[in-house]
Amino acid sequence: MYIYEKSKALFDRAVKVIPAGIYGHMGPANGCFIPVSAYPFYVERAEGPYFWDVDGNRFIDFLSAYGPNILGYNHPEVDAAAKEQMELCNCVSLPSARMVELAELLVDTVDSADWAMFCKNGTDVTNLAMISARAATGRKKIVKFVGGYHGVMPWMLDIGYPGVLFEDVDNIITIPFNDLDTFRRVLDTYPNEIAGVISTPYDHRAIDASQLPLPDFWKTVRELCTKEGIVLICDDVRCGFRLDLRGSDYYYGFKADLICFCKSIANGYSISALCGSAALKSAVSSVFTTGSYWLSAVPMAAAIKCITLLHEIDGPAILKIKGEKFARAMQTAASDCGFKLNVSGELSMPFLTLEDDDSSFIMQELTGGMVPRGVFISSHHNLFVNCALTDEDFEETYNVARASFEDIRRNHPEMYR
Amino acid sequence: MMNEKAKAACNIHAVLRNMENLCELDVTSKELIAASNVAIQFSVPEIDKLVLAFRQGACKAMRGDGLSYDMNLRFSSHEHLNLMIEGKKNPIPTKGLRHIPFLKKTFTALADRLSYYLQPDPERLKNDKSYRDASTKMLAYTAFYAIPEIARYDEVGIHIARQIDDGIINIVVGDEFAIQLHSKQGVLETSKGRNPNARALMLFDSMETASGILNGTLDSFGCIGTGALAFRGRITMIDNLNKLLGLVPNYLG
Repeated sequence: MYIYEKSKALFDRAVKVIPAGIYGHMGPANGCFIPVSAYPFYVERAEGPYFWDVDGNRFIDFLSAYGPNILGYNHPEVDAAAKEQMELCNCVSLPSARMVELAELLVDTVDSADWAMFCKNGTDVTNLAMISARAATGRKKIVKFVGGYHGVMPWMLDIGYPGVLFEDVDNIITIPFNDLDTFRRVLDTYPNEIAGVISTPYDHRAIDASQLPLPDFWKTVRELCTKEGIVLICDDVRCGFRLDLRGSDYYYGFKADLICFCKSIANGYSISALCGSAALKSAVSSVFTTGSYWLSAVPMAAAIKCITLLHEIDGPAILKIKGEKFARAMQTAASDCGFKLNVSGELSMPFLTLEDDDSSFIMQELTGGMVPRGVFISSHHNLFVNCALTDEDFEETYNVARASFEDIRRNHPEMYR
Repeated sequence: MMNEKAKAACNIHAVLRNMENLCELDVTSKELIAASNVAIQFSVPEIDKLVLAFRQGACKAMRGDGLSYDMNLRFSSHEHLNLMIEGKKNPIPTKGLRHIPFLKKTFTALADRLSYYLQPDPERLKNDKSYRDASTKMLAYTAFYAIPEIARYDEVGIHIARQIDDGIINIVVGDEFAIQLHSKQGVLETSKGRNPNARALMLFDSMETASGILNGTLDSFGCIGTGALAFRGRITMIDNLNKLLGLVPNYLG
C-alpha cells in the first residue's frame, strides 16, 4: 500500500497559507477523499493515463483530472502545438489568428454551432449562456434540473451554500430530470417568463447513480422550448467530445440553442467555449462579457490540435471501448468476490455503485483499498476514462479491485455468512 | 440572516437545555443544586416549552406541553427571552413565586457556570484538560441541539433540512462521546450516544480537534485533510449537516 509522507507534509504547509489547504473539487473536503488516508494530495508529473504523486507513487487515473484528460496526459502533439504557439505569443493586447481558426473548427465540428466564443472555465460559459438567454428573450426565469451541476456562480447553487441568497436563486426553477409532467406544469405556471432551460445531456450528478434521458425526454423538451420561445442550453462541460464530437445534444437526438464546452476541449489547457445557433448570435454579441485570459492563444492552439486528433482517431468510439473494458474489469472483480457492482451513465463517464450499499459505506471502503494500490477512483463522482488507457491498465485495475474486494470480505465476515 | 424566533428556540432548547449537561459534568454546579428540588418551566410564545427539573443533585431537561413544574417563567416575546439570555431583561414568574430565591441565587450561579464553559477561556483550554473536555462536550451539545431549531425556524435552515435524507447521522468524538441527529422528512431531532444504524458518520479524532473546530481555532476543511475530522457514509447528509452547522454561529455566536 502506498504511503503519502510528502503529500501530507505539503498539505500541512498548505493549510497555513491556503484556505482549506486545497479548495474545490480536487481537495480532500469537496473532493470527498474517503477515507482521506487513502489519497495522495499533490502530483509530481503525469503521462498518458498515469500520474505520479510527490511521493513517487504511480496511479492509473480514472478521474482524468475530472474530465480534461481525454487523450492522455502530456500528449506530445497537443503539447507541441501549445509550445509552438507559446514561442509566438500567448496573452497579448490582441487575440491571435488561432481564435478564428478554433471557432471555425468548432462550427465545422459541432452540429448545433453557427458560432463560437471562448472563456476559461465551465462556469464562465454556463453563466454566459444564462445571461444570453435572458438577453435574447427579455425574460427572467431559468429552469434547471435536480442534481444538475452547472458551476459555482450563486444562481447555479442552492440555498444553504454559504453566501448564496434567496435573491440569487429567486428566478431559478429546479425540477426533477426526466419529469416531463412537471416541466409542462412549470411552463403553464410561468407563461412568457422562462428565458432558458439549462441541463446536462444526462443526469450525471455527484453521490447518486447517473440517469440517462428517457426516450422522448429531449425530443419533448426541445419541442416545448421551441413552442414557448425558450432558449435550450446544453451544459456539455463534462460530456462534451466524450459522447460525440458533434455535441451531446446531437448524440441524444436534439439540437440545443446554446451548448457549453470545457473539460475535454484542449486536453488540459485552460479554455472553454460557448457555441450556439445563428438566431442567438446577435443577443450573445450584446452581452458585455470578457476576461483577462479568455483570448490567450496557447490554449486555443492546444484545442485545435486536441479536437483535430479526436476527429482522426474517433475519440468517442475509443472512449466507449475503454469504458466497456473498465466496467468489465470492475464488475468481474466484484462478482468474483460476491459483490454486485452497478455501472450507470455513459461508459466513457461511468458512475460506480454497489448493490445493498445505499449509504456508500462499502463503496468508500473500495476506494480506500484501490487508491493506495495505485488505481485512482472516487466513490462519489462519475469517473472519466481516457484514450491512453491500455489493456494492461485494465488488467491491473481488475487485480487491484479484486484485492480490495477481498479485503472488504475479510473485514465484514457478517455480510457473507 | 438571524431571526428572533429561531434564536429563542436555540436559546431554550440548546443553551438552557445544557443545564442538564452542566450539572452532570461540573462538580461546582452539582454541588450548587445538591439540595434543590424545583422544576422550572420556560414559556415562550410559539415555541415548545422547556422544563428544567433540579432534583437530587441532577438536572433533567424536558420538552413539551403538560409537563409538571413548580415555577413558570413567562416571556412575552422571543426578543424577551433572548434579552434575558444576554442578561438585559428578567423573566416574568407567573407561578411558584416562592422559588424566586432559587432563581436569583442558584440559577444565576448555574448560568454563570454555563457561560464559563460555553464562552471558554482560550488559555485555560490549552492548559486544563478536564476544563477543555467539559467545555467541548457542552459546546457540542449546544451546537447539535441548536440544529433542529434552526431547521425548524430559520428560513435557510428549513430549506437545507428538507434536503437531508431520512436516517441517522452519528457525530462521534474519539472514544469520548457521541451525538445522533435523526432526520425524517425534513424534521430533525438530536439525542446522545452512538447508533450502529447511522447512515452517515462525522468523526472527530479527539476532544482537542472537536474543541478547536467548535471554538473556531481550527479550520474544519484543513482538519478533513489531516484526517482529524472524517466523514463516512451518505455524504449528502453530512454536507447538509455542515451547512446547518454553518448557521449556528448566527444564533449562538
